[in-house]
Amino acid sequence: MKGLLIHGVSHAYGDNKVLDKVAVVVPAGELVCLLGPSGCGKSTLLRLAAGLEVLQEGSIVIDDVTVASNTVHVEPENRHIGFMFQDYALFPHLNVLDNVIFGMVGSAADKARSRAMEMLDQVGMVDQASKHPHTLSGGQQQRVALARALAPEPKLLLLDEPFSGLDTNMRARIREETLGVLKEFGVATLMVTHDPEEAMFMADRIKILGSDGHILQAARPHEIYYHPKHEFVAKMFGLMNRFDSVVVNSQVETPLGSVAAPDMADGIKVQVLIRPEGIVLESHENASGTAVELLSTHLLGHDNIVRVRLASGSSSELYVRVHHAFEPELALGIKATIDSDYAFVFPLDVEEGGSSSLVKAAQ
Amino acid sequence: MVELTSSFELEFDALDQDHQKMVDQVNAIIKKIDAGNTDDCKALVADFVALSKRHFAREEALLVSVHYPDVEKHRKHHLDLNDKFDHMLEFAKMAPENDMACESLKKELVYFIMDDVITADLEFKDFLSQT
Ligand SMILES: Nc1ncnc2c1ncn2[C@@H]1O[C@H](COP(=O)(O)OP(=O)(O)O)[C@@H](O)[C@H]1O
Ligand SMILES: [Fe+2]
Ligand SMILES: [Fe+2]
Ligand SMILES: [Mg+2]
Repeated sequence: MKGLLIHGVSHAYGDNKVLDKVAVVVPAGELVCLLGPSGCGKSTLLRLAAGLEVLQEGSIVIDDVTVASNTVHVEPENRHIGFMFQDYALFPHLNVLDNVIFGMVGSAADKARSRAMEMLDQVGMVDQASKHPHTLSGGQQQRVALARALAPEPKLLLLDEPFSGLDTNMRARIREETLGVLKEFGVATLMVTHDPEEAMFMADRIKILGSDGHILQAARPHEIYYHPKHEFVAKMFGLMNRFDSVVVNSQVETPLGSVAAPDMADGIKVQVLIRPEGIVLESHENASGTAVELLSTHLLGHDNIVRVRLASGSSSELYVRVHHAFEPELALGIKATIDSDYAFVFPLDVEEGGSSSLVKAAQ
Repeated sequence: MVELTSSFELEFDALDQDHQKMVDQVNAIIKKIDAGNTDDCKALVADFVALSKRHFAREEALLVSVHYPDVEKHRKHHLDLNDKFDHMLEFAKMAPENDMACESLKKELVYFIMDDVITADLEFKDFLSQT
């Protein structure tokens, strides 16, 4: 298979085991994101793929050639991999063109030069070829780094939190541009990030790495968001509302109505996690649902986050995402229901107490 | 098209043959879609799902018989893939009307067979080689 195959990779620094039997497949032309909290071993996995770290257990195969196993260690320069790391590390003393040429050791000078110009053209930086990195914006430096990574026509591109040094506005634009270049180029790309939105935006497939070094779920972005298989995965995307309850007849009752739990046995103690957009507020005359009281609203721009509490007097607060059509200031008699697309049921850890509360994001 | 190169082999004939059959079925579906022949998709994907489920049962029975220590974990992994079958079947149903459904179906099938099924199995390759 053209692309990257990693399997059975475990890694420890002394007693600190950071990766536990991790497997990833990245077919040529695809972008797979490894998403996980800081310190879970994402960079370690990239360094292992790159050959910058010696593999302890498992195998790494690039375009059907084993580059690392318990008997093989191909040196980084012979793996034909392009890198782009957070501090894209352009050489300050080289101009843009020479920075890109630098990556193509071994090719004839004139060929390397024309290839470098071609790549700079692709990322829209050909006009800046003679400038030095410090005169460029962060976004421009990022594009040069991308051109440098792609110029030697790598079989595999490794991106380690490549956009985290950019400010919010720039980040959105640069990642869109980068995605465009990568798709045109058709290279297999493994990108790591701790930013779920970035992973959702970029990836054909997301692999979630938990803090124990295990892959928790691998799926299309849509599936990760709407069908999280693990409590940790559900909680990655920000605030969650939570009710604790018990399964009865494959249903779970909450103060806002019942939620289906088709695969769970009766009597199991569970937590129901509901995304802020999964609580629907209505305030017209015929609105059905559970009465709630408004506590505060927070305008985010594209939508509002509204804090409410059950009118029945329960002290727990809920966070609700509402869109422009709902103006909380003008609402009377607000009723809340659950949109089950955004509600997930997970077994409750036995030792865990508590009844209902708000769950902070894992990140 | 998916090709089962040697890096993906468990070197355990019964399972490798099953995997090859599943790969063949995935390739047959991709070929049909690429030829613009999407009417059969639903039936072919349903066959693929049935084939996969039979394979999972067979593989689990085998892992039990050789006392593979993580058999429960692997069984759970297979169980977690049920959602993906549902999505594939939905895409397949839409395939005749919707090009994006075709593309997503192809992609989903490739990742499923290569990443979720075969690469996940490589975890017990060494164990099987010692039995
Ligand atoms: N060279 C090293 N020596 C010792 N410990 C390390 C080394 N590199 C990383 N670690 C530790 O391994 C864990 C994973 O690190 P890393 O792979 O950088 O995580 P991530 O990129 O997901 O934030 C962390 O606990 C980190 O402190
Ligand atoms: Fe299998
Ligand atoms: Fe399996
Ligand atoms: Mg890191």
